[in-house]
Amino acid sequence: MKTLALDGSSRKRVFVVAILFMGLAHLTMLKQYIKGAIFALIEIVMIILSPLLFKLLRNMVTLGEPKPELPIFERDNSMFMLIDGILILAVLFVFLILYVVSVRSALSTYKDYCVTDTLPQSKHFLSEFGAKAFPIAGLSPLVMLILFFVVVPLIFSASVAFTNYSVPGNIPPNNTVDWVGLDNFKTLFGGNATWTGALGRVAIWTLLWATAATVTCYAGGMFMAVIMHESKIKIAPIFRAIFILPYAVPAVVSMLVWQNLLNGSFGTINRTLIELGLMTQQTTIPWLSNATLAKFTVVLINLWAGFPYFMLLTMGSMTAISKETFEAARIDGASRPQVFRAITLPSVLYQTMPLIIMSFTHNINNFGAIFFLTGGNPVVADSTTTSAKGTDIMVTWIYNLTINLQKYNYAAVLAVCIFVVLAPFAIFNFRRTKSYKEGEL
Amino acid sequence: MKEKMDQTPIDDDTNDLNQADNLPNGGSVVDKEAKKSNSKKSNSVNENQKDTPVEIEKDRIYEKQNNKKSLKYQNAIQRAKNRTYKIFVFLFLTLVSLVVLYPLVYAVSAAFSPGRSISAMSIIPFGSGVTTAHFKRLVSETNYIRWFRNTLIIAASTSVSTVLVCSLAAYVFSRFRFLFKKTMMLALLVLQIFPSFIGMIAIYVILLRIKGLDTLWGMVLIYLAGNIPYNTWLVKSYMDSIPRAYDEAAKIDGASNARTFFKIILPQASPIITFLAIVSFTGPWMEFIFAKLILRSNENQTLALGLFSFVTDKKNEFTLFCAGALIVAVPFIIFFLITQKVLVSSLAGAGVKE
Repeated sequence: MKTLALDGSSRKRVFVVAILFMGLAHLTMLKQYIKGAIFALIEIVMIILSPLLFKLLRNMVTLGEPKPELPIFERDNSMFMLIDGILILAVLFVFLILYVVSVRSALSTYKDYCVTDTLPQSKHFLSEFGAKAFPIAGLSPLVMLILFFVVVPLIFSASVAFTNYSVPGNIPPNNTVDWVGLDNFKTLFGGNATWTGALGRVAIWTLLWATAATVTCYAGGMFMAVIMHESKIKIAPIFRAIFILPYAVPAVVSMLVWQNLLNGSFGTINRTLIELGLMTQQTTIPWLSNATLAKFTVVLINLWAGFPYFMLLTMGSMTAISKETFEAARIDGASRPQVFRAITLPSVLYQTMPLIIMSFTHNINNFGAIFFLTGGNPVVADSTTTSAKGTDIMVTWIYNLTINLQKYNYAAVLAVCIFVVLAPFAIFNFRRTKSYKEGEL
Repeated sequence: MKEKMDQTPIDDDTNDLNQADNLPNGGSVVDKEAKKSNSKKSNSVNENQKDTPVEIEKDRIYEKQNNKKSLKYQNAIQRAKNRTYKIFVFLFLTLVSLVVLYPLVYAVSAAFSPGRSISAMSIIPFGSGVTTAHFKRLVSETNYIRWFRNTLIIAASTSVSTVLVCSLAAYVFSRFRFLFKKTMMLALLVLQIFPSFIGMIAIYVILLRIKGLDTLWGMVLIYLAGNIPYNTWLVKSYMDSIPRAYDEAAKIDGASNARTFFKIILPQASPIITFLAIVSFTGPWMEFIFAKLILRSNENQTLALGLFSFVTDKKNEFTLFCAGALIVAVPFIIFFLITQKVLVSSLAGAGVKE
């Protein structure tokens, strides 16, 4: 074996050998036998498994052949094939990263060698491993969980958007599923008037809803916080305790209670209004059964449930504004609205901006507020075909498509739409983080 | 220059005086004191002509007194102004409180009302009598205790595992440099915005593969994975604000990474850890979608599923639902009221994370 040059000229050789076989450079040139053996073992395992991996990947491409002559449980299950394929892709991805790590480790060891003229001993590897073990152990549960329970399902969802996984003809294990390219997207975006209409309606309402819900809750919460802070009422803590009750009560409970209270025929609110003589049995208000009114009701009830969060938030942010600032403003003769406009609002807004955006994305996905209050009702013209009802937002529609209609392919297309709409918000929030600004990331 | 400075308080005073006159209460008191101070002030103006050090010293004392006095009037006026303002605020807050409390009080009354559906109830809370029959029915006729137990197990396990996984990962992200760190953090941030049920069919199939369907630990895995992306960022941002000097000192003293983490960082981060523990504990109590999808058998149901089944189209047991919900909600509310201080500061902390 040729000795390594000290002037860095063997870098290319180390690089090639490291790429040739995982751990080879460690074993033959750098005398890091333990490290090299571990890397080599990983690659050997992968090579032994490769026929199986290849078969699973091929299954993912074909999604199985229909074999009607076999009993149901021996037929090809396209969904298992798809998910196995994605899992294998994830494993390959991890393997690829390990490969990169091994090559980089070999190069950096060589670099050290050039400087110090000694190759690190295996003992050194053990102590180095001790130092690295902690971050690896600390991150591995996160990586595994995220990979298999977040990333793989999301990729699976996105893949289903390009298949015909739906009732009636393509539900495993009875039948197989096939790749259909962009057919689902074509149907939803213009190919079929009913579906396109429903998608447009639901998409517009989802955006309207998220905007209205966020704005009302934010404004309401801030208003309550500011007047309680300003007026310095002695029993403010009691009011505060009352106001955070809606936040403390689980949404399922409060929304279902509201659903019953607002019921058009037997709901307590309409019955109270009748008793008070404000209306008659015939002119009851269809809070949740008129498509337009139901939308207002949903936003209103969401305000009831959502303002406490922003009230607490504003209170917290306001304590961060120094008392001197308020005092200085008062001495300068600023009126209450002026103080609010010039001091409280800007600083609270600045501090809570990421949370406003988060709240907006949360509301786009606010399943509970819609599902438990209205269940998506009332029914509109295309509801029987599309399962999208009057107050359904994207996520509740996805739920309906999955659970009731079993049109998984369309549900997946909607999920992809949500991804496209929400990703910019995530990036925006990311760019505002301290770590990003300080160039750490 | 000096003249000017002396002049200013007087101007202010006259202004205050005019305002005070317009006020119904306390005006006379203000009047009297104002006159006193005015005379003093004119004195001080006159004496300004003399420039000996003693006189200047005297001036200062006068000035101080004047300022004290004028503050007093300002306070008096402010108080009077505040009183009307406060009454309005008080009335407004009371009104809002009523709206906030109405559905809650009504639900509590429903839990104690005889009858089954909401249509039979009086429109006045507690108007149709009080009974504890629904609570007895929950225990004797439904699986309520079983649901409660299941939910408690899921919630406690989720909370503990979320805190462990997230804080450990956050510590690594905050204190170590390694390959792909940037990519991983960005991935977490992007993943954080997707509700986990977008991939629910895949999760169903994965759990089917690892025999986790219809089990409680399967639910814990799902909730834990869903909690990780956002909360790791949250805790990481908090840990970034803990001075590195602490852990460096511990390292110099020979503490291992694990020891530094558990003995130094975790206690320092306790506010955000508490917040995380609370949030991840409360989450599973009322989660519905995955519970519905994963937990099929009768003995594995959770509270959300059980309570929801009381008020579906087939059954309308609103009173039973309220009784069951009350038992869950009361601990929640007490918990929130006790921890609201922590909550406020943690929420603010989350707000200033950038």
